[in-house]
Amino acid sequence: MKRILVLFLAAVMLFGAAACSPSGQPANGGKTVIKVFSNLPDRTTGQGLVEQKIFDQYIAENPNVEIQVEALDDEAYKIKMKAYASGTSLPDLISVWGQPSFLDGYIDAGLIAELNPGDYSEYGFVEGSLAGFSKDGKLYGLPRNTDMIAFYYNQKLFSDNNWSIPTTYDELLALAPKIAATGISPVAMDGNDKWPISIFITDLLVKIGGTAYQPETLKAISGGDFSHPMYAEAARLLQDAYDANLFQPGFEQQDYGTAQNLFINGQAAMFYMGSWEMSMANNQEIDPEIRENIRAFTMPVVSGGVGVATDIAAWNGGGHSVIAKSPVKDEAVKLLNYIYKPENWTKIAWENNVCMSAQDFSQYKTGSETPVQLQLIDIFAGATSISGTTINDLGSADFKTKFEDLSQQISIKSITPEGAINALAD
Amino acid sequence: MEKMLRDKRVIAILIAPSLIAFVFAVLAPILLSFVYSFTNSSGIGRFTFVGFENYSALAKDKAFWNALLNSALLAAGFILIQHPIAIFAAWLLDRIGGRAETFFKSAYFVPNIISSAVIATLWKYVYNTNFGLFNVIARFFGGEGVNWLGTGRAIWSVLIVLVWHGFGWGMLIYYTGVKNIDPVLYEAAAIDGCDDKKMFFAITLPLMRPVIQVNVTLALISALKQMETVYLLTKGGPGNETQFVATYLYKQAFQSGNYGYGNTISVVFVIICLLTTLFLNRLFRREG
Amino acid sequence: MTDKIKTKFSLGRGIIWVALTLFSAVQLFPLIWLIDFSFASNTEFFTSNLLIIPREIQWGNYPKAFTDGHFLLYLKNSLVVNTLAVAIVLALSICSAYAVTRMRWKFSQTAKNIILLGMMIPIHATLIPNYMIYDFLGVRDTLWSLLLPYVAFSLPQGLFLAASYMESVSKEIEEAAIIDGCGTFRLLGSVITPMMKSSLITVVIMTYLNNWNEFMMASTYLSTSKWKTLPFSILEFTGQYRANAAVQFAVMTLTAAPAILIYVLLSKHITKGVSMGAVKG
Repeated sequence: MKRILVLFLAAVMLFGAAACSPSGQPANGGKTVIKVFSNLPDRTTGQGLVEQKIFDQYIAENPNVEIQVEALDDEAYKIKMKAYASGTSLPDLISVWGQPSFLDGYIDAGLIAELNPGDYSEYGFVEGSLAGFSKDGKLYGLPRNTDMIAFYYNQKLFSDNNWSIPTTYDELLALAPKIAATGISPVAMDGNDKWPISIFITDLLVKIGGTAYQPETLKAISGGDFSHPMYAEAARLLQDAYDANLFQPGFEQQDYGTAQNLFINGQAAMFYMGSWEMSMANNQEIDPEIRENIRAFTMPVVSGGVGVATDIAAWNGGGHSVIAKSPVKDEAVKLLNYIYKPENWTKIAWENNVCMSAQDFSQYKTGSETPVQLQLIDIFAGATSISGTTINDLGSADFKTKFEDLSQQISIKSITPEGAINALAD
Repeated sequence: MEKMLRDKRVIAILIAPSLIAFVFAVLAPILLSFVYSFTNSSGIGRFTFVGFENYSALAKDKAFWNALLNSALLAAGFILIQHPIAIFAAWLLDRIGGRAETFFKSAYFVPNIISSAVIATLWKYVYNTNFGLFNVIARFFGGEGVNWLGTGRAIWSVLIVLVWHGFGWGMLIYYTGVKNIDPVLYEAAAIDGCDDKKMFFAITLPLMRPVIQVNVTLALISALKQMETVYLLTKGGPGNETQFVATYLYKQAFQSGNYGYGNTISVVFVIICLLTTLFLNRLFRREG
Repeated sequence: MTDKIKTKFSLGRGIIWVALTLFSAVQLFPLIWLIDFSFASNTEFFTSNLLIIPREIQWGNYPKAFTDGHFLLYLKNSLVVNTLAVAIVLALSICSAYAVTRMRWKFSQTAKNIILLGMMIPIHATLIPNYMIYDFLGVRDTLWSLLLPYVAFSLPQGLFLAASYMESVSKEIEEAAIIDGCGTFRLLGSVITPMMKSSLITVVIMTYLNNWNEFMMASTYLSTSKWKTLPFSILEFTGQYRANAAVQFAVMTLTAAPAILIYVLLSKHITKGVSMGAVKG
């Protein structure tokens, strides 16, 4: 035993000595090092790949620059960001969410560098997309993409069964038992993460209140008063969905992957998720029978609602900001501006079918887009109004967790609409 | 000999490194926690002192009391269900001996080696309403599928997982305790005509007292500290139904941006741990 | 009469064997499941069957895990960090356990209780304060920023276990050694440590495995890949919204393998203690 231990320790010491040798230290002879902290840990697919491609391109064009990327997933990212904020050595360029629930705290602490809006007049940012990244008229970050929520559905399944695309919320609920009768779930919903249910509520609010959604909700949050009838109405409509068994059984504890796989394995007819999932139509691992039949529609109108079919729930979530006290602030801003040059993020993201950027991407259409991709662009282009930030992200972080908890509880009828409104007033 | 056992210099050398480690990694952060617990800090930027506001809010926080109740239930599950089985299993393995002992000892510990992420994912599958093992079995016998992680039922399903998952640690500690018992005692008892049952109650259990005390204390603390598996399984939901003290602390401090309040929870947490440990010490001393 | 007892006996034995075996199947299942799923493709993951029979065994998940996940670097780091932590915890546990259980001084119980307090601190409450301290000391993103918390959080448990096992071990051998003129440090090294081998192995196992899958502290205190440990390789297969589950399972299998090996090798040495009879006789 002793011998094993000694051997083991010796081996470890050797390892340790090897690790302490200078080879671990990056040689940056006179190079400018930009430290990037990203919430995209997977650098080989999706948005992480796009980000990495742009960085590689930048280094090739600017040999005197070195980019060090540290990446964690959302939750660990948010914790580490707080730790960074409490210390002295921060990264230079960071991922942010253009929502008060995330960005406000950092802006108030003076950590985020102000950007010059004039720099971006030629960048083609979609109208309103910078709103979430601004505070008191100043710009603090740039949005990566435009997100939109939709019901993805299996077109073939619908036509084979003579189901038609619902044009009203009542039709959607009436469709549920018909779909259930064939032995599959109507809509696959990620209830465990809670935010998709909050987005569903936002979607309903847009159809009930139309463009009143955002101004009313901002007022309601700041005053802690959700007595405007549209909130109770949205909660009731969500509970109607529960009564109609619109979502798969046990949805409140099923996560993203489980919900998605119900849909892509044909066990659910629809999947309620954001536009970033349009890449399903290109995913070679999905059965072509399903993959080629994926289409999308948005939340149908509700009876008595002000919102029309083309008033949609869409927002700009993720993006980048520069740290105010960064020793290489100018270089970091230069990198930021480079990322968002339309021929970089927008083009590369679109060509890789990753997402719709927050900029005008019409010139980068390749002609080989999938039907669902085209459908989503058309819906977005034809929108008469866009909701902006979803309700859960419009307030503080505390409001976010509270609202998302309540969304989940409303969706399984463990709280009444009135109870939820009272809980929000606290 | 007496002189040697009282040598102050030796004592200092023996204990100082541990105390230093304690001061650095434990005392310093908990003191900071204590300070933060009186502030409205969000974890970023400036904050102000708010006196006992967080403490009075905590006293009225239903979700916190529910989390505490859940932790108490878990502790009860550990002590009343998991530990008796673990002691018995440890004793049995020792009795069996040979290759079977090695095999079972290794097999029983496997769930504790694999990361909680795997364990949580596995149980999500087992509990799944559509295709989960439990519902497949229920349907096979003509029953109906049950929403295992749904409201009202979720906490029990979570408790099952946690009590099962902690088994390996409990057993390992008892197993070592059993091994430490002098075999001569068993031999003497056998000569006196004791059967297995008598030996277990007359020798094994009494001699394991200190080990049982340690293990029960560890179990209580771990019931309060429970974090990863629950979080990955239910995120504390639906609502706050399956929140435990540590998961609730995490939620408040890092997700809700109530860093000051989260630290209040952690101060109260430490106090509760201390009180329970003191209570257990008393209990064991009186029993003994 | 004797026959009757014999059959009764073996029936009981039979039941016990069946129970033990069934239970081991339950306990082994997570491992089997993990390995099985690591050979599947992502789309096969959601199945109503308990185990997947992959349409095609995805050996490719493993090379992917190896190369894209910086596996070897992180494995090395995990071994270095955890082994050093274990060695320090072990040494400190023996010393301080002896000081608080055998040595005679006024504050022995107080010292023990103070260190035990460390067990009661919720790790998440220490993340930001410790970050600030390490940042101030300039040890952030170094080996120390992992070693310090790993030792500090495992030490109380190590001390607690070592002290309690020490209490249950007889003092006679030690006393004999002291009378023979053996000093404290030699006593610790050549009498107590071998005598408490089983208990100390348990401390080693617990410290090793407690920290093996630890991610929260590591991700907060480390920034560059120099000291990143194995749980980071799982992260590198986390897509923004949906994980690349199959490769993640391959990584988790690779992460679990060394830990299982360590457990099996070490737990072999938890054996019967030194008999009192050895002294008396």
